[in-house]
Amino acid sequence: MLEITHLEVAHGEAVAVRDVSLGVRPRELVTVVGPNGAGKTTLINAIAGLLPIRAGSARLDGDDLASVPAHELCRRGIALVPEGRRLFPAMTVEENLEIGCYAAAARRMRGESLERVYATFPILRERRRQLAGSLSGGQQQMVAIGRALMARPRLLLLDEPSLGLAPSIVDQVFAVIAGIHADGVAVLLVEQNVVQAFAIAARAYVLEQGRIVAEGAPADLTRDPRIREAYLGQQ
Amino acid sequence: MLGLGLSLTWGLLRVINLANFALAFLGAYLTYQIATVSGVDPMLTLVVIVPGFFAAGVALEMGFLTFKINELTSLIVTFGLTVILESVIQWFWTADFRRLESPYARMSLKVGPFFVGLSGLLGLAAAAVLTLATWAWLRWSYLGKAARASAQDGPMAGAFGVDRRRLALLLAGLSSAYAGVAGLFIALNHTLAPSQIYSWIGVVFAAVIIGRLGNALGLLGAAVFIAASEALTMAVTAPGWAPLVSFTLLILILLLRPEL
Repeated sequence: MLEITHLEVAHGEAVAVRDVSLGVRPRELVTVVGPNGAGKTTLINAIAGLLPIRAGSARLDGDDLASVPAHELCRRGIALVPEGRRLFPAMTVEENLEIGCYAAAARRMRGESLERVYATFPILRERRRQLAGSLSGGQQQMVAIGRALMARPRLLLLDEPSLGLAPSIVDQVFAVIAGIHADGVAVLLVEQNVVQAFAIAARAYVLEQGRIVAEGAPADLTRDPRIREAYLGQQ
Repeated sequence: MLGLGLSLTWGLLRVINLANFALAFLGAYLTYQIATVSGVDPMLTLVVIVPGFFAAGVALEMGFLTFKINELTSLIVTFGLTVILESVIQWFWTADFRRLESPYARMSLKVGPFFVGLSGLLGLAAAAVLTLATWAWLRWSYLGKAARASAQDGPMAGAFGVDRRRLALLLAGLSSAYAGVAGLFIALNHTLAPSQIYSWIGVVFAAVIIGRLGNALGLLGAAVFIAASEALTMAVTAPGWAPLVSFTLLILILLLRPEL
């Protein structure tokens, strides 16, 4: 459903992603791993319409995303859980979730979506009148995931959802991602936590210095000695 | 009402629109002109002024968006606009004092032991109603939530389907329409002169900042607070001391609570 070919994205003059081609099929969970500064966030932000595409193309169901304005993307079924969560800190938990279903089609399912998010994260129901900025990091991550789910996406983009969270919360977040995928949503997961990402992904890409250096099934990639050493800390 | 427009665009669009003050006076003079020449009830002029000013605000914001104006440059550009509008007003209506003769000016109500002018009371009521309506709109409607979300993280709000350009145009239009309504009550309650534009800036800025940017209820509270302290100053000392109060309050609050 998502097809990226020879994509190039730059911050001003600095090219952060070059000649990247990757694809996500319907209902597939794909992960992109790589070190800090490899261009993972740049890649996902370009798909989400937050950064302009300089060359190559990103297509969703065959439509070129470069010609779609950013606020149209969520109507087409893309939702983003951005790096650092980027909640609206001075708004309540429930208001943050409601921005997720701002688009007309998602808004009609507001009540049902809200119930689903609260069922997944019961703590958010208790905190729903609290300002998002006052929550703990783990709870903020839950709001960020919940907000994206409120948009009823067909393709969920997740950027480092485990960043800065306690190990027990990380396990919970990965379990939720696997659950979302099991419900039939395609997922593109950008992660530094390679072990956990490989455990739930069907296919994986390794991004280094803005280029894809390896791709394949996680089981095959784990057998590659170079990847074992660089990302899994094993000889 | 002047403060409401200023607070909306400053807090939510990051544009400090000084031209709002000049627009309000333009509205006041237009009210004066229409009501004096055609003899209609001044209130009816709102039918023309509100949509006209809304359109003017939208057009202005389109310009700001095209030239990617930020907080500081907006201050300079709209100050320029204010001077231009002042000259235009002076050109048409001269620098002489003008006074709108309306039936409202002569009516007054007896509230307990006090006599209150009807036009002043209407102005207060309109300001309270508009402020509360704006507050409720920002708090509960989807568009209001989108406006607050855009002010906190614009690109993220955009990623969830908020069309930020349309929202900005709407807010700017509203802000100018408020200036138009404010103009009506300036015409009803005050003697008009082009240079009067500047005498409003200080007290309105104080109310907007004390009430916190983009916060309609806070603004209402701050406005009442400032008006009460000015009235008290006038009663205790001389009327000339009144402007001192709002600025002293503003400076004190910025010193003591800069995070507001």
